[in-house]
Amino acid sequence: MFALQFSSLSEFLHMGGVYTFHIWAVYLLFAVFISYNLLQPKMVRRHFLREQKRRAARDEELASKTNTQK
Amino acid sequence: MWLWFAKLGSPRWFYELSDKWLPWLYVSMLILMSIGLFWALLIVPEDYQQGQTIRIMYIHVPVASISLACFPLMAVAGTITLVWKMKLADMVAQSVAPIGAWFTGLALATGAIWGDQIWGTWWAWDARLTSLLIQFFLFIGVIALRSAIDSPDAAAKACAVLAIVGAINVPIIKYSVDWWNTLHQPASNFSMDPVAPNPPEVWVPLLVMISAVYVFFAIALILRTRNEILQRERRSQWVIDLVAREKNV
Repeated sequence: MFALQFSSLSEFLHMGGVYTFHIWAVYLLFAVFISYNLLQPKMVRRHFLREQKRRAARDEELASKTNTQK
Repeated sequence: MWLWFAKLGSPRWFYELSDKWLPWLYVSMLILMSIGLFWALLIVPEDYQQGQTIRIMYIHVPVASISLACFPLMAVAGTITLVWKMKLADMVAQSVAPIGAWFTGLALATGAIWGDQIWGTWWAWDARLTSLLIQFFLFIGVIALRSAIDSPDAAAKACAVLAIVGAINVPIIKYSVDWWNTLHQPASNFSMDPVAPNPPEVWVPLLVMISAVYVFFAIALILRTRNEILQRERRSQWVIDLVAREKNV
């Protein structure tokens, strides 16, 4: 039940030959789907944190300016 | 029980709890996905009819079945939004829509690739395929609807209604293969018998892949919901503190 179906790497990549493209296209799409949906939220989060830090820094600067004017 | 329910509705509480969940989810996804992919690609024997293309099933079936779970989830979140006005439920509803669109799109794409091999055609206006295409458009519709309405409260209500109404399509997709004669095959029964058409050596790795993709779905949903929480609560003190604590962004 647990025997490997392929005896070499090239045989594995070949996938029986007839539908090599179909099989690997599906697995490639799956890889794209997984990576996009994990990386996209991370990018959004990083963008959000940068934006908020910039805003906080600007507010602080503004506050210190008004303080010195007093 | 009600205290728990009210707490779960608090975005901050969810955010802090999911901090603890995420590492475990990542680890279980990695383990399940490695076992599942290794098994599906290297160990599952060739199908007597389909040959090596049986391996497409281990992607297509998990993705397609979980795409059917997205819409009911959105409908339940929409109902909670309408009835209890729970903020977190609307954030979940908003986050699940693009993920559902991705799942449905991938189910259609992998199905087309598989269909080209077993049916000799990429597409057919068959009940299963058409109803799944409608689900794809419904997800796009929910996303478009939210971005079209300026008031967040009105957008939340409108999307909740569309999610609840659109959920009628889910049983249609699920039972389309039984109700109508479709090119798409009906679901197979799992059998413990090693000489049955669908023996354990075929469906056990499928179950592993389904669990792996479910865990992935949970991670993707939690990540998006957390971003939505931060965005909507950005003026509250706990998010300001959190931003200040984050180094190197």
